[in-house]
Amino acid sequence: MTIGSQVKQTIASLKGAKSTLEQFAAMEKNEEAVKIINRNAASIGKVILDMEKQLGELEFAEPQYKGF
Amino acid sequence: MPEWLNILIRSAGLFGATLILVRLIGKKLTARLTFFDLVTGITIGVIVAAISLNLAGNIINGLIALAVWTILPALSYILAIKYKTVRDIIQGSETVLINHGKVLEDKLMEARYTPEDLMSQLRRKNVFNFADVEFAVLESAGDLSVLLKKDKQPLTPQAAGFKAGMESVPQTVMMDGIIMDEPLTAMGLNRHWLHTELEKAGVAPENVFIAQVDSRGQLYLDLFDDAVRVPKPKTKELLFSTLKKCQADCELYALGTKNEQAKEMYGKSAAILTETISELEPLLIK
Repeated sequence: MTIGSQVKQTIASLKGAKSTLEQFAAMEKNEEAVKIINRNAASIGKVILDMEKQLGELEFAEPQYKGF
Repeated sequence: MPEWLNILIRSAGLFGATLILVRLIGKKLTARLTFFDLVTGITIGVIVAAISLNLAGNIINGLIALAVWTILPALSYILAIKYKTVRDIIQGSETVLINHGKVLEDKLMEARYTPEDLMSQLRRKNVFNFADVEFAVLESAGDLSVLLKKDKQPLTPQAAGFKAGMESVPQTVMMDGIIMDEPLTAMGLNRHWLHTELEKAGVAPENVFIAQVDSRGQLYLDLFDDAVRVPKPKTKELLFSTLKKCQADCELYALGTKNEQAKEMYGKSAAILTETISELEPLLIK
């Protein structure tokens, strides 16, 4: 497996984790817990963005593995 | 009218009357008995028994006594809510028996408590060494409340420096195979959601004895058929390990790449995820 596809996998896992967290936030009644969950979902979102940017460069370096 | 029929009618009538009269007094009598409550309860019981067995002589006299013994206590309870002095007279006030770890002998005398009584009450609270007690008070209902010294108190997450997870009360959404709509709507869910979740678990609705939803929307099931193993919801644990895996991946990429900029980015991502994991841990792992 190339680094590119591994990074893609990690990004996908992170996206899944983020949406699960958002689902929890929607269900949760305790406001403090909602705040913590939302904050962490946002920071995971930031990580996803950073990694996607990096992925663009990786795809440029390994053009034969381009595409999701 | 034969004697037995008389007693039958009386008893049945009194049964109904007592039910109503006891409601007048309120719930307090059954909750925690003070001495006054005890006396009232016993007296009412004796009067009712006497009337129904025709021991009271005249039935009117019996009923009058019964009325007095229910109305006066009911009245005194209402007055007690309004006035502190009345409260102290009819319910008595609490007595401090141990203060700052020292037994107050004169208070013990006042409460007619022997040292053995005190030790036995403490033992009932799982205190075998009176030196562990900072403060103990004899409540007006006759039970002892004990505050242990700080270093002898049970360990709480706060004392241990943990962050405890926040959890609201789980709602019971199914009982005896019947779906309860009200708790479901209180959680913002509906029958459709429940059916989907049951299908995911592979369980027929009529086989469910109890189903509860926790504050994060996970369904816990108990079935009539105990031979069937229900999968425990694992979403929280799964999410936690996914995050941990992603964090480890980021560190791996940071080590693997030669590109300085990418190295820094992966390092930063790993750091963010580490923080996220530590913040979410109390919420996801119970």
